[in-house]
Amino acid sequence: MLDIVFLAFIGYVLVLGLRRPFVWVLLYVYIDILAPQRIGYSLIATLPVSLIAFAAAFGGWLALDRKEGARFTLRQGLMLALLLYCGWTTGNADFPVEAATKWDWVWKALLFAIFLPLTLTSRARIEGLALVLLLSVATIVIGTGLKTVLGGGGYENLKFFVNDNSGIYESSTLATVAIGLIPMLWWFVRHGTVFRPHWLVTGFAVALTFACLLVPIGTEARTGLLCIAALGGLMLRYTRHRFLFIAGAGVLGMTALPFLPQSYYDRMATIAAPGGDESASTRVAVWEWTIDYVAEKPQGGGFDAYRGNRFAYVMPVKEVDGNTTSVTYRQVVDEGRAFHSSIFEMLGEQGWPGLILWLVLHALGLWQMERIQRRWRDAEDEPVRWIAPLAAALQMGTVIYLVGALFQGIAYQPVMLMLVGLQIGLNTYCARIDSAQALLERSASRRETIAGKLGGAVAA
Amino acid sequence: MIDYFALALGHGLLAIALLRLVLRDGLDSDPLIGQMKGEAADNRKATSIAGRNAARRGRESGDESDPALPEPSAQAAKR
Repeated sequence: MLDIVFLAFIGYVLVLGLRRPFVWVLLYVYIDILAPQRIGYSLIATLPVSLIAFAAAFGGWLALDRKEGARFTLRQGLMLALLLYCGWTTGNADFPVEAATKWDWVWKALLFAIFLPLTLTSRARIEGLALVLLLSVATIVIGTGLKTVLGGGGYENLKFFVNDNSGIYESSTLATVAIGLIPMLWWFVRHGTVFRPHWLVTGFAVALTFACLLVPIGTEARTGLLCIAALGGLMLRYTRHRFLFIAGAGVLGMTALPFLPQSYYDRMATIAAPGGDESASTRVAVWEWTIDYVAEKPQGGGFDAYRGNRFAYVMPVKEVDGNTTSVTYRQVVDEGRAFHSSIFEMLGEQGWPGLILWLVLHALGLWQMERIQRRWRDAEDEPVRWIAPLAAALQMGTVIYLVGALFQGIAYQPVMLMLVGLQIGLNTYCARIDSAQALLERSASRRETIAGKLGGAVAA
Repeated sequence: MIDYFALALGHGLLAIALLRLVLRDGLDSDPLIGQMKGEAADNRKATSIAGRNAARRGRESGDESDPALPEPSAQAAKR
């Protein structure tokens, strides 16, 4: 039954795309994020829906789109360079089979992110992509939030639509993405044109924000808490009454505390004392190993290079016997531990060239969004007043993603690469407005000059 | 049950959003950029030799109004 509903929805979007092929691009975004072929289990699982959507998106753009204003930009060039470099390191990987498995989805995510900005040639398309991105993630977040409220949460206990810890269906990744999209959600409340400002939209946004904040609580993902802190810090910049905001956030936090389960406190306590937790202890050990590894192999070891690591460290282990708690120090030997950080993921897998490309890609994004905000912040006309707030939302999303990425290997997270695509699209769109405006001003002043001359000649 | 509710809500909103996108005019070509380019093209046309000649012919035929040289648009002046 579920399969039929998914297929009916996909069929509906494919039909809509016959009139506007851009919708097929959005269909791929939806399939890539939600992965309906993995939620369903019979018919849809056997069909290559992702491939069909990509072929429709790319083919539709190539054959039917006007491509007016499509530009290839520096950041797309950086992603292309990263893609080619990843291809090269995959060919020379330490673990060729595992590297090929990761390469299989990374190249698609990168290629789509390079392609995406070429299709974002109008305000409606930029908003359409942002909306589909948001609603696809929201579908997962709504379910997660409701389960948390109704008591189904817990670390590695909360069930998503897909439970294989892959893609966005990994608790920390979902927490990071959900928190990162909150600023964009509130942009829609004020500037949305598909769903115009309305009390229903505001009500949905309030409920969804609550659900997003519940994701790190329901999944007990520690990174999510850091992302919420980052979001709070970033919002200070856009808040007029800062002290009131800080006080309000404090009161809200204190009010929420009694409702949190004990297991949540226990898990969050390990942020401050990483020594007592294996997941946190190994991170530091893996990061040290990575630095040593690239000292020998600066070009990186290809995808999944972490599989070669092996290290021993001493970890305190608590044993509770009745009223007595004893702590013994035990040596733990670990091997093949994942990077648990996008910085070290890039460094270990793609070496210094890959890390530099990745950092420059995101740094440029932050800078471009800052520049757009400053350029358009005083714009009050309806056709352009949405630009600066969207740039601010996308910038906040990137910062939150980067905070989350410090503690997770999500360097090629498709949703985040789509956000990069959205940023590039917005930047190009703004450049086009500027260029059209400059052209208009030049032509208007030339016209006035000639009109003046003609007027003078007639008078003479 | 929760999963079905979340999937139904998400897909319902997506379906409405995509339909509204398809039905709106500004999806494939941006109205703002199109308008600015259109105005710039009008200005260029009016300042071209042919445009000036047309204006002159209009005046010579005794027509005081100048069809090829309307006032520069308020949009352009504002910008």
